[in-house]
Amino acid sequence: MIRSRSRTAAPIAAFAAAALVAIVALFASACQRGEGLDPSKLPENIRADYELFANRCSKCHSLARPLTANITDDEQWVLYVNRMRRQPGSGISRTDQDGILRFLKYYAADLRRQQAEKNGAPAPQAVPVLTPPPPTAAPPPSTPEAGAP
Amino acid sequence: MNSTRKRALRWLALSTMLAALLALATPASAIERNFAGSAQLDYMFVPTARSAQASPNTFDGFTMEFAGKLAVDFSDKISANMKVCYGCHGFEADMMYFDLRVADELNFRVGRFSPSFGAFNLRHDPANHRLSDKPLPYDMGRMLRMREWKLGVLPSPFPDNGLEVNGTKAIGESVALDYAAYVVSGFKAAANPTDIDFSLSHSAQAYYVDDNSRPTFGGRASLTVKLGDTSDLTLGASTMYGTYDPAHDLSYLIVGGDATLRFDKLNIRAEYLGRRTEFATNQPNIFKYALATSNGDFSMKHGAYFEVEEGLTPELDLVGRVDGLFRVGNVEASSELNRRSSVFRYTLGTAYAIERGLRIKLSTELWEFSDPDTLTGRKIELSMHAAVAGSF
Repeated sequence: MIRSRSRTAAPIAAFAAAALVAIVALFASACQRGEGLDPSKLPENIRADYELFANRCSKCHSLARPLTANITDDEQWVLYVNRMRRQPGSGISRTDQDGILRFLKYYAADLRRQQAEKNGAPAPQAVPVLTPPPPTAAPPPSTPEAGAP
Repeated sequence: MNSTRKRALRWLALSTMLAALLALATPASAIERNFAGSAQLDYMFVPTARSAQASPNTFDGFTMEFAGKLAVDFSDKISANMKVCYGCHGFEADMMYFDLRVADELNFRVGRFSPSFGAFNLRHDPANHRLSDKPLPYDMGRMLRMREWKLGVLPSPFPDNGLEVNGTKAIGESVALDYAAYVVSGFKAAANPTDIDFSLSHSAQAYYVDDNSRPTFGGRASLTVKLGDTSDLTLGASTMYGTYDPAHDLSYLIVGGDATLRFDKLNIRAEYLGRRTEFATNQPNIFKYALATSNGDFSMKHGAYFEVEEGLTPELDLVGRVDGLFRVGNVEASSELNRRSSVFRYTLGTAYAIERGLRIKLSTELWEFSDPDTLTGRKIELSMHAAVAGSF
């Protein structure tokens, strides 16, 4: 009896693994939003910096950490990324840091704009929207000054 | 000190920590603060476990862990981190330290922190790894038969009080050398122990004070090489040495080696840990085997894992892991382990980001023990995890 129970563990494991994949596939079809941003909705001149940010920063933690940190101060991002660069094995070089900060400063500017809109105040400076535009709207601008606030 | 007073002191300490967190979180102009947190609710189902004895030997059910962290940058030279977490061990001060940075190459870390050891500990927060549980060498309670095995080699996290000197040295644009040396209180146990008591080591009942007035020393060095725009390789080695009993007689030595390869969305991780732990032999009758006349006063515990993680889509990660523990040495008479015991675990899991900062984790684990369960005779066990993990 005991031996037969042991033998059933492997088929149960296979079934459980298959069920697990099926459940995830179900979720995958129901939800279409990940942790990061959709690069295609970013201005072209910021996409490479975003990819660098996504690659380097997801090595140790989820991208949700920085993206939901609600940091709107550029100087705070400088200190934050400096601290992360010094983490052992981060793989973030000083050159990487420049690119990551370009994206994060862009992201912070967009947050500031969204907050200003929410408060009914005029936007502090023009930045392209990160949220997808309505189908009839024009694509987001990708001017150099908008990409590097 | 009676238990009511101890409880009151514990709550007072916790309230003080929370008050300090809130006070530091109050905005000010010159100091940059960032508050972050994470939580994971996991359900572990063990269909093969003997129900009557599943608990406390196995956490066969819901487990909850959460943490709140405040990072404060006073300047580019000085920063502080405070983290309080809750898990099966209760509340724990996971981080309470200051970094005093002279340069990238020289940083002084003082306070309470997990000393630099191994590659996994940086990702120990459940929001930062894709499976519900940790690799077996770092297991802190989700492994089956955890009481017999007395957890992993070095249960993570392992916060301790002390000083660490660390730094990072860039060698060109493609190579970085990271290093750390530290002195901390070290692990603990009661008098005449047969192993380290990790619960006692985490307990705040003794105010996180060292039990033998002798520090533990250790260090780590790692080399990260960029192989391309989206790939890098990290190789590391770590060690830790100290005594853990109140009489300062019994030593432990932990060594580790790790390799992490990142190739675009593919992560391959391998790590080995080994711990040599001396135990007290003044009560020979408590052991299962006769004490050997030479080299009979220590045990060796080896642990390793090999993990492959692939991001299939921006939302979906697939993880496969093989890990195990191997223990050699005498055991207590009541233990179900033998002189040489092993456990291997084979895991297949996924993590799905349903929303930014919120993941569902599912995994299945097949366990293979060298020793049969004394009640069922079973050597193979099965467990399944379903968890929701969130971070902000």
